[in-house]
Amino acid sequence: MSRAGEMLKQKPRKWVANLIFFAIIVATVIFCFTGSSINLYRLSTIGTSLRIMFTKMVNLNTDFLLGVGVYQFEEGVIYMALETLAIAFIGTFIGAILAIPFGFLASSTISGKVVSKIGVTILVIIRVFPEIVLALVLVKGFGMNALTGVLTIGLHSIGMLGKLFSEAIDNMDKSPIEALDAVGANRWQKIRFGILPQVAADISSITLYRFDINVRSATILGIVGAGGLGASLIIASYNWDWDTLGTILVAIIVMVMLVDAVSSYLRGKLV
Amino acid sequence: MWYVVIAVIVLLVIFAQFIPFDPNYFMFDQLGVILKKMFTPKGNRTWGDYFAYMWTLRGALLDTMKMSFAGTVIGSVLAVPLAVLSAKNIVKLPVIYIPMRFIMNIFRTIPAMVLAIIAVLFVGTGVLSGIIAITLFSFGIMAKMLYEVIETIDMNPYEALESTGATRMESFRYAALPQILPVYVSYLIYIFEINVRTSAVLGFVGAGGIGAVISDNILYNYDRVGATIILIFFVILFVQFLSNYVRGKLQ
Repeated sequence: MSRAGEMLKQKPRKWVANLIFFAIIVATVIFCFTGSSINLYRLSTIGTSLRIMFTKMVNLNTDFLLGVGVYQFEEGVIYMALETLAIAFIGTFIGAILAIPFGFLASSTISGKVVSKIGVTILVIIRVFPEIVLALVLVKGFGMNALTGVLTIGLHSIGMLGKLFSEAIDNMDKSPIEALDAVGANRWQKIRFGILPQVAADISSITLYRFDINVRSATILGIVGAGGLGASLIIASYNWDWDTLGTILVAIIVMVMLVDAVSSYLRGKLV
Repeated sequence: MWYVVIAVIVLLVIFAQFIPFDPNYFMFDQLGVILKKMFTPKGNRTWGDYFAYMWTLRGALLDTMKMSFAGTVIGSVLAVPLAVLSAKNIVKLPVIYIPMRFIMNIFRTIPAMVLAIIAVLFVGTGVLSGIIAITLFSFGIMAKMLYEVIETIDMNPYEALESTGATRMESFRYAALPQILPVYVSYLIYIFEINVRTSAVLGFVGAGGIGAVISDNILYNYDRVGATIILIFFVILFVQFLSNYVRGKLQ
């Protein structure tokens, strides 16, 4: 200890700089709470609220869960969870199909430096545009239903999928393409026989990963009327309907965990 | 290979039953109308008013930044003990790390918007509920990302220190922390970037910030919604650029 202790003491003293840095961070965090409408009455009752919430949330509304009794099957959580999965699945499928041309467009191997810059820019714009705002616009054209959710997820997924696809294409082995070049293959033949067989596994793995994310998104798109569990969730919250809220929450947790497990199992198989 | 294609087709056919598809109800003209309403000034307002309105949003934008910053810092700090306790190579007892991972997974599965809905029920509308939602959301992501890093660190220095008689805390401080810290800082910036994106829309459910401006104006003032969307777009773009730049410098 003594030798090591001496060595440690000889280290340059950075603690003053560290202290100032941490003080700045802590001060900024405290500043963030200014004007954040802290309601002392609400805070004093938070223990009671938490107790009520948990006791009611544990009492799941099984009629609502299964869609029996006073509820139609179409109003039940099981049906809405399946609808959410459907929105995510078909949306991801459409997104992946649309993202393939964008992936080729944005890859510098295929389309050259200048064109790929244009492709990358388009993908950034799609990626940055918030999903829920996109849903808000599309609702006007396609109505308050699950189709709007599918289209929102399909269009929004292009951004990330296209970017990752183009990276997969740029990282692949170039020699088969050079060989195809040598035998005089045209652009489409090169894509079909030189590129697709190499990137198919990567593309499937990326798409599965995006499906994971999209299941989460699909649960909240209902807030603006794009189908899935979100609409019932927001209505239950307006009515302080804790048991309904708890039922939906449990459904979301189970659904997302299941999809997570299946998707990471399949991705493990692919790699 | 073919059974994968068949499985995907079967799933598509089953799931398609849940999606209503009736072109008779499509209103493409409405889509054009709303886009025009969003991106041109309304009534007798001028383009000057349109851009002047963006300047009035600086307070709401600051609220969004406050939510993201406080949420990222508090959530990421709270995530450290959970991540350490979830790491198989540091805590060697499955009785501890398996329940810890379960807690982490529960937080990770709930979307931030849902956390915000519940937080609003507790503390009312405003920035505070946004901070709570972003904190819990960052907590889940950071714990997951961090424990994966801790599990892949080089354990040789750690074991060497332990064999010299250092306590577990000392070995962690001098052998594991120097390996983890740079990655932690990089993740912190990345999570902040995600959180700016997330908190920009949390106002939809009453959690304050710039998203609240959209839900306030969605019924009558589409031009203000459009102006807000443009602003959000550029802010996210800027934060993403900054985050990529700083993380690039760190490596």
